[in-house]
Amino acid sequence: MNHIIELQRVWKRYDTGGEVVEALKDVDFHADPGEFVAVMGPSGSGKSTMLNVLGLLDTPTEGTVYLDGQDVTDLSDREMTVHRKRFIGFIFQSFHLIPTLSALENVEMPTLFGDDPTARDRATHLLERVGLGERLDHRPDQLSGGQKQRVAIARALINEPRILLADEPTGNLDRKTGRSVLDLFDEIRREDDVAVIAVTHDPQLGDYADRTVELIDGRIQ
Amino acid sequence: MSVLDDLFRRVPALLMARRNLSRNRIRSGLAVLGIIIGVLAIASLGMFGTTLRTGASQQLGDIGNEISVSPNFQEGIEELTERDVDEIRRAVTDGAVVPVRSESRLVSRGDRQTVTTVYGMENPGALYEAEQGRIPDRLRQGALVGSGTAGLLDVEPGNTISVDGRTYRVAAVLAEQGGISLVSPNNAVIVPVEDVNGTGYSQVVVSADSGQAANESAVAIREALNEREQRVSVFELQSITAGINEFFGILNAFLIGIGSISLVVAGVSILNVMLMSTIERRQEIGVLRAVGVQRGDVIRMILAEAGLLGVAGGVIGAILAVGAGVALNAFVLNDPLATFQAANLLYIVLAVGFGVGTSVLSGLYPAWKAANERPVEALRK
Repeated sequence: MNHIIELQRVWKRYDTGGEVVEALKDVDFHADPGEFVAVMGPSGSGKSTMLNVLGLLDTPTEGTVYLDGQDVTDLSDREMTVHRKRFIGFIFQSFHLIPTLSALENVEMPTLFGDDPTARDRATHLLERVGLGERLDHRPDQLSGGQKQRVAIARALINEPRILLADEPTGNLDRKTGRSVLDLFDEIRREDDVAVIAVTHDPQLGDYADRTVELIDGRIQ
Repeated sequence: MSVLDDLFRRVPALLMARRNLSRNRIRSGLAVLGIIIGVLAIASLGMFGTTLRTGASQQLGDIGNEISVSPNFQEGIEELTERDVDEIRRAVTDGAVVPVRSESRLVSRGDRQTVTTVYGMENPGALYEAEQGRIPDRLRQGALVGSGTAGLLDVEPGNTISVDGRTYRVAAVLAEQGGISLVSPNNAVIVPVEDVNGTGYSQVVVSADSGQAANESAVAIREALNEREQRVSVFELQSITAGINEFFGILNAFLIGIGSISLVVAGVSILNVMLMSTIERRQEIGVLRAVGVQRGDVIRMILAEAGLLGVAGGVIGAILAVGAGVALNAFVLNDPLATFQAANLLYIVLAVGFGVGTSVLSGLYPAWKAANERPVEALRK
């Protein structure tokens, strides 16, 4: 099997005060290196829950998660954190940059806690790659939305992940800027052989994806 | 690369902490102010105690070095004999033994006269210093006049005075003794011991070189003279100074206790500040956790923030405390340098340590809370 990540028969139930909500129902899903998968669906369909399970931020109630062929369903918090750092890059709708750090420092941030002497060079190189070579020392509030998302993408790539998980990556961007971000995703998955999984409402994302998965009421259609 | 950059590179928690604190300068500043006040309170109250103690022991002088041996009136012993004095001399290995006779006499010079205490001493030089003139090694003739009496009778060395009709040439006027003294010379006249009536002595003063030597002499004298009967009572001024020292110790502990309360209050304010700032930064901390920062690193980061507040407050508080100590000592003791002594250094170290400790302790709960929040919850919009 050469799936970089795979969900097998995954259920996720939340107990919300007596009432059990089923966010994911028997979900089977996989992504291969270099593949761009769009996960679409109305809000409340369980897209974010699925992304959290894929990103090792949440554990399924039932079912199994495989990361690079390894069962990672029941890892400790510490091990999950290590795997997130090594395998997964996150991109959020509202960028979630640290406002007190410069663009360069934001990109370095995932490597800060740990001895990583080449991190600064890699971060500089990544920012140049996303077209922000002139803005290394700018703080997030001095950057436009598209620039912030580019910093976030550089941050997601700093540890050379195998998977990029994007939650509504174009949600806070205008159409043109969104398109340039998606072009960047396309380039990354092709050049770096990274699986890109994006959860979105944005129909233009479908044009870029190799495959679109529709999630309604916690079930893949 | 500057030293600071190098430090931040080695300890990334410090870099993050430093940046986070600069985010809301007023809030951080107020939290630091709390610690400053607490550290200042502990350190300066501690130093205030030291100043009081120093001032008091200056007033007391060297009395801890002196002991007084007097006849035990309860056993019917009225005076000390030559034999007693010899035994005391044998018992005291380290210090001067000054047998004293005393009575009240009329002293006059010209038409001025006063009734004053007249001490008979053979070797008053062991106890007193001259302000004018010179004290002979053995007082065989002439008189020494205390500063008070000298002022009253307007005498200076070389004048003659009359004690009960007997004429003495004044050899020296004694320096005023400020502290408490066993045999105060200020309002007295000292004459050769043979000139005072009687055969025995009313007391024997032993002036040792140190408090410890005085204490050893006291023990030896008790052993030598009180073995068969309680012939003498030995009075050590050291017991007074020990009591005074103990009192100031308690006073200091009390003052520092009051100072500590303000530091505890400062700790609560840091707890509040850290809790608020971690709640505000919930999403950010969630992102940190998502991109692979371990719980322990989040805890370290927030403890570093609290620690930085403590260190900043501690250092500024210590500097202010030294300033306050210098001002206090300049005012009370006329000696600003008295601030720089071991006891005060200890108080400052204690206060800064307590300040940093309180801050870090106050950071523990917010740090634990932030680190244990699930990133999924924190990232939820």
